[in-house]
Amino acid sequence: MNDQPVIYTEGLTKHYGDVRAMVDLNLDIRAGEIFGFLGPNGAGKTTAIRTMLDEIRPTIGRASILGMDTHDKAVEIRRHIGYMPGDLAMYPNLTGKDTLTYFANLRGGVDWSYVDRLAKRLDADLSKKVGDLSSGNRQKVGLIQAFMNRPEVFIMDEPSSGLDPLIQREFQMMIREVANEGHTVFLSSHTLSEVQRVADRVGIIRHGKLVAVEIVSELRSKAIRRIELDFSGPVEAAVFKAFPGVREVSVEDHRVVFSYDGKMEVLLRAVMDRYDLLDIRTQEADLEEIFLTYYHDEEVTV
Amino acid sequence: MLANIFTKTIRDRWLGVAIATGSLALLLLFAMSMYRNLDLGIYANMPEAFRAILGVPAEADVGSLAIGVLFSSYGAWVLVGLMIAAGSASIASEERKGTIGLLLGNPKSRTNVLVSKAASMVLLTGLAAAFLWGSTYLVSGVLDVEITGMAVGALSLHMFVNALFYGFLAMAIGAWTGNRGTAAGATAGLMFVSIFAVGLLPFIEGWENVTKAFPWYYFNGSEPLINGINWGHIGVLFTGIALFVIAAVIGVNRRDLRGQNVGITLLDRLRSNPMTQRVVNRLAGSVRVSRIWIKTLSEHQALLIITGFVMFLVMGVMIGPMFNMMPAELMDMTADFPEALLAAFGGGDVSTPEGWYQLETFGLMAPIALMVVTIAVGARALAGEEERRTMGLLLANPIKRSKVVIEKAWAMVICAITVGFATFAGVAAGSLLGGLGMDIGNIAGTCLLVTLLGLVFGALALALSAAMGRGKVAVFGSIGTATVFYLAASLLPLSESVAGYAKWSPYYYYLSSDPLLTGMDWGHGAILAGLTLGLVVLSVVLFQRRDLRQVG
Repeated sequence: MNDQPVIYTEGLTKHYGDVRAMVDLNLDIRAGEIFGFLGPNGAGKTTAIRTMLDEIRPTIGRASILGMDTHDKAVEIRRHIGYMPGDLAMYPNLTGKDTLTYFANLRGGVDWSYVDRLAKRLDADLSKKVGDLSSGNRQKVGLIQAFMNRPEVFIMDEPSSGLDPLIQREFQMMIREVANEGHTVFLSSHTLSEVQRVADRVGIIRHGKLVAVEIVSELRSKAIRRIELDFSGPVEAAVFKAFPGVREVSVEDHRVVFSYDGKMEVLLRAVMDRYDLLDIRTQEADLEEIFLTYYHDEEVTV
Repeated sequence: MLANIFTKTIRDRWLGVAIATGSLALLLLFAMSMYRNLDLGIYANMPEAFRAILGVPAEADVGSLAIGVLFSSYGAWVLVGLMIAAGSASIASEERKGTIGLLLGNPKSRTNVLVSKAASMVLLTGLAAAFLWGSTYLVSGVLDVEITGMAVGALSLHMFVNALFYGFLAMAIGAWTGNRGTAAGATAGLMFVSIFAVGLLPFIEGWENVTKAFPWYYFNGSEPLINGINWGHIGVLFTGIALFVIAAVIGVNRRDLRGQNVGITLLDRLRSNPMTQRVVNRLAGSVRVSRIWIKTLSEHQALLIITGFVMFLVMGVMIGPMFNMMPAELMDMTADFPEALLAAFGGGDVSTPEGWYQLETFGLMAPIALMVVTIAVGARALAGEEERRTMGLLLANPIKRSKVVIEKAWAMVICAITVGFATFAGVAAGSLLGGLGMDIGNIAGTCLLVTLLGLVFGALALALSAAMGRGKVAVFGSIGTATVFYLAASLLPLSESVAGYAKWSPYYYYLSSDPLLTGMDWGHGAILAGLTLGLVVLSVVLFQRRDLRQVG
């Protein structure tokens, strides 16, 4: 099982008329892996996911899940996947419980005590009508729906949008747990921090093309940060400008602000050897900045 | 004044109004060309009840009969129906869709929004009434029928004000409750009750004046086509309109706007009551979601109940006793009715109970009722789930696309059978009540045929829905096709040289065998069933081949 990819795509391409929503996507995702699928809005993440679910058919290329072709074996595949669509919509007239019962009936065989446990973990109210729930609470019903039949493969499109931070963390723990049990998670997102927290590997997609696949630890080292340091006394800009990986330095009295890509540890050690550091504020650079810095050339050639 | 809300409402609604008034003009052309060939002597003898229900004035001639039959009844109903739809949707729909917050996030007051919507309704109704007015001159000119001396303009004005009356009533109820279904249902109910009250009460001695309590009296009670505008009656309607507008403004301003919530139904109340919880939970909860087709059925229960009820009571039970109110001279008179005239309204010899029922119930209303239900279910079946973005989730389950199509088609069949059965039960009861002695088997056969006819067009809507995933295309496409086929089946037989082509229309296989007199024609039934089956198979193929839409 382990030498066979769980999700595999080969030259997957989708054109809508002249629009190339997805171009030559090649993925090879293994069992027990959490694969983050990262890209800005409109990059083609949802197109890729909808192709895997056989909602739409590729113009060129093919995809398989658990060794089965996503089109020919679509029904068999769906026995083994839990799906969380992006921009989730459900039946507003049904309660959460009714909704889950409906899907359980269509699937056959759902362990209701497990559903109750999931509902408790996510703090979901299943007695209310879905139409009366806030979007975050609706999202919880969608998540339970994806988890409830203990699928081997999870395919989730922006699953944590609308969830509050506590529930997001709970959700991240849940996918970590299922991954540790050998299940596979395909997680699309447009925020780097979310993917970094849970994923093992990250595929970065932009303008329909996969521009890079990275191990998360490597991506982390590439992450550009906006750093603000406060000191007890005045500092010199030149010291910072000379440091490798530091750019766009501006000094203002006891404070310095700059962009940095490199290991935090190295930077802090060097700074603290020299000055009396009072406070640190760091902010993650947005995805677009990372793209521009690292993947600009590759995007053209891949 | 809020040009954008105003124009947006017009844009959302003009197509329905255009299609409805266009079809009415076509029907008028058709009816007038029929009536031209009539022996006019028969109108003098026409029974009061017959005329009253169809809204035909006593001093009828070719033009006034055609205009009266079409505009005073169908035309007025259609206009009122359109305005009820627009009025009930005005505020309540935006609440339901969750767009009201966005709309009111702009610096516009609730009153402003309401007034803009009301203004667009006035304009649309005005245009529709003016179009109908103009079309009568066009049609009578083309056919060279004399209509001078007839107050078509007065009738149009009455129709206009009448439609606004119901439209604004629906708007007021919608503004108070925020519930579109309640607004549309209550207003349509009032319309039906008052049409029948105004048609029937005058025949009951001592009750003649009670009709004045019903608003429909102020539309047609003065026979505006003959007598011109009755300003007193118009004034009554306008007073109602003014009151409704005030009520709507107060209603929408005083209450909390609803979120995108779904309201509390009777079932929900029963579900939360510990006494009834267990039973109702099974019914409303676990049973309702046990299968795709049952869930689909439950989504359409309101439509099903209303349509079934109308067909049972109004078009079934009540029509029977009315037959006895027809005076005896009608019997002789109908011999002079050319077949063509009767064909226009579904045919039938009105001197017999069967012919009476065919004219009143089976000719037009029963196919319409069946199609309302089948087309609603068929069009929403696939396109509805796609447009509400639930199809992806549904198909993420281990089920084939073909299973979804087939289960939805099955739900449509059950819906059609329900309405068909309600019609059967109503007509059978009406025949019994009126002592008409119609053959139960023949009634059943006719109801089965109309059920199958409805399914043909429902299956067409399903196929369009499967091919495109667009609800509007499916609804308008199938209604348009149904109208064309209806006209073809009624028009073509009038000319011998093209009569054979009528067989290409599904309607031919519904009434051409006179099922009320001769019973079920299994051959015709098989053709309709075969067409339905073919379209469902086509739906499966089309739906399997295509990419699901991504909406929103």
